[in-house]
Amino acid sequence: MKEKWNKFISAAHGSSWKVRLSAVVMGGGQFLYGSYGKGILYFLLEAGIIAYMVLRGFRDIQGFFTLGTQKGDPWLGTVGDNSVIMLLMGIFAWIIVAAFFYLYQLNLKDAWHTQKIVESGKRPLSFKEELAQLMDKKFYITVLILPVLGVCVFNVLPIVFMILIAFTNYGGDIVPPELVDWVGAANFEKLIALSQFAPTFFKILGWNLLWAVVSTILNYFLGLGLALLLDKECVKGKALWRAFPILAYAIPGFITLLAFKFMFSYGGPINQMITDAGNMATGFLDLDAKWMARGIGVLVNCWISVPSIMLLATGHLSNRDMSLYEAARIDGAGRWKQFQRLTMPFMLFATTPVLLSQFIGNFNNFGIFYFLRGGLYVDGYFLASDTDLLINWLYNLSIDNNYYCIGAAISLVIFMITSLISLVIYVKSPSYREEDTFQ
Amino acid sequence: MRKNVSVGKILDTTITYLILLAVAFVFFFPCLWLILASFSKSGSIYSFDGFFPSQYSTASFVKLFTDTAMYNYPKWFMNTLLIAAGSCALGTFLTILTAYTMSRFNFRMRKPMMKTTMVLGMFPSFMGMTVVYLLMTQFGLINHLGGLILIYASGAPMGYLTQKGFFDTIPRSIDEAAKIDGATNFQIFTRINLPLSKPIIVYTALTSFTWPWSDFILPKLLLKEKNLYTVAVGLMSLDETEFARFAAGSVFIAVPIVILYFCLVKNMVNGIAEGAVKG
Repeated sequence: MKEKWNKFISAAHGSSWKVRLSAVVMGGGQFLYGSYGKGILYFLLEAGIIAYMVLRGFRDIQGFFTLGTQKGDPWLGTVGDNSVIMLLMGIFAWIIVAAFFYLYQLNLKDAWHTQKIVESGKRPLSFKEELAQLMDKKFYITVLILPVLGVCVFNVLPIVFMILIAFTNYGGDIVPPELVDWVGAANFEKLIALSQFAPTFFKILGWNLLWAVVSTILNYFLGLGLALLLDKECVKGKALWRAFPILAYAIPGFITLLAFKFMFSYGGPINQMITDAGNMATGFLDLDAKWMARGIGVLVNCWISVPSIMLLATGHLSNRDMSLYEAARIDGAGRWKQFQRLTMPFMLFATTPVLLSQFIGNFNNFGIFYFLRGGLYVDGYFLASDTDLLINWLYNLSIDNNYYCIGAAISLVIFMITSLISLVIYVKSPSYREEDTFQ
Repeated sequence: MRKNVSVGKILDTTITYLILLAVAFVFFFPCLWLILASFSKSGSIYSFDGFFPSQYSTASFVKLFTDTAMYNYPKWFMNTLLIAAGSCALGTFLTILTAYTMSRFNFRMRKPMMKTTMVLGMFPSFMGMTVVYLLMTQFGLINHLGGLILIYASGAPMGYLTQKGFFDTIPRSIDEAAKIDGATNFQIFTRINLPLSKPIIVYTALTSFTWPWSDFILPKLLLKEKNLYTVAVGLMSLDETEFARFAAGSVFIAVPIVILYFCLVKNMVNGIAEGAVKG
């Protein structure tokens, strides 16, 4: 840090007045040194940003803090402030401010470099040559502009927005034209203590963790077992046997889930067989079918996820060092010992990242219970059912029922849980430490 | 002793095959059930005889494409195809470019960008949905298929890691040789690396096609008109009395995807395995 600062000071002392001009009028130095195109471009950027700030930027930043002061009144005909749009525009203004500072330091550095080039007796690159560099040396800038822009607008901006929303009271009755306000950590307090949200939150969190652990372990070992079974020497026609799980893997998830819903429905084939045998029809996925519905969810999830794990495990199994097994056999190790001491450690090493993404995928498995029991609200739960995971509750709250701020707070909780778990596993896993070997 | 071993072996083989048969049954039976249901004569699930329809005909498929007053399946199908094809083309383009750059160039923002995408992936997927809805209203893209393509395609580069893993395996010495011959980085990419990366392009295209093909959350949120429904949203609106229609509609869109998967399954396995190791 100190080194950088010293470097900056010495550069500032050694700079000519033309470079110093760039500190006031962006692009001024470059222009005077003969890089006309670039100088004009920098100047236009500065002019544009200043114009934006004067015309609306300062007001937008102010709006970011107040979130509107004037409530609209249709009777008097006053147009009020729309807090949500103000928040969005406020974030946008901050981005512009950040971009300005970035461009400003870029401009200073560039002016200083231009001075060095001129002092060493060379001619600075012309505008055309600089553009040509975008196809060669700086190819990555040209290429990454579009993806970065897209990700920023449709991923980063919404996430930043929702993080901020978690600290406001937006949602419920308070939607525009009502004014939204900053409320600090009140939403999180509501989640963990004293409100209709808290009991539901802890019940769902508990089930969610149980679900994630149980289904990850079950899927993982069933998939691995299936791969080992298909890997056995005595199995003939491996491709044929493998085709059945792949079939299940290839069918779009929503079709599978809807089909299983039909299968377990009141009029579905299973209930028809039960009634044909002279018994009462069972509501497998009904309001009071708590553990039955949960069990069906776990099984259906297996049906969907086991094939992908099997495929993956098959890929890894072929990378095993078979001479180790030969040695183990000579030493008299049984098959179970071989599995325990050789196969398991190897597979765990190779698939830690997959296990992790499986766990997070299961933790946030929206589809299963959305399709099997979507739209059910059970007594004792606030706008949720006893099979819902946090992510389903998040959907019910923020998309079906407009509880935006609580939804955003739950999103942050989910984020904290998943990132904490990943961090712990990543830091501890050997495959993470050796990540750069392939780079 | 010797006999004992062979008895054990036969037992072992028998058990293995029994398990395999059970597995095959478990995975195949629901598919068979759905296929047979799509050929049932009556549409409602209540008139079935246990798991299977009592009479067979192709009426459901005919109805699916001709009786479009309530459920316009051909239109849903075309919408889905358009969205999936559009997102596939644009998304593959962006993902390949991103992955290539992340693999080949060592610039200052590279590591921060990789870390940022990892952190972004930890947020629940539709956390920002309400905001996306808000943004789309501002852009005037609600009830617009183009809006969906835009969202899918711009989300695609986030999953660049598998592709980056692939590009990491193409030796750089070829690049350096070309550079000495005076090729620019743009030329190195288009003339040398792009032709070499056909398998990963196919893999990327397949995954970025199937995602919009089977997604239901975004279309449900952004397409409010019945005529703009995608197949996923449309099929969700069918109830038990329209079961045969549901089955026929599902079979019709699942078959092409299943065939694609079977053709490319080798590619997929390698893609998954490599992406996982090099994640």
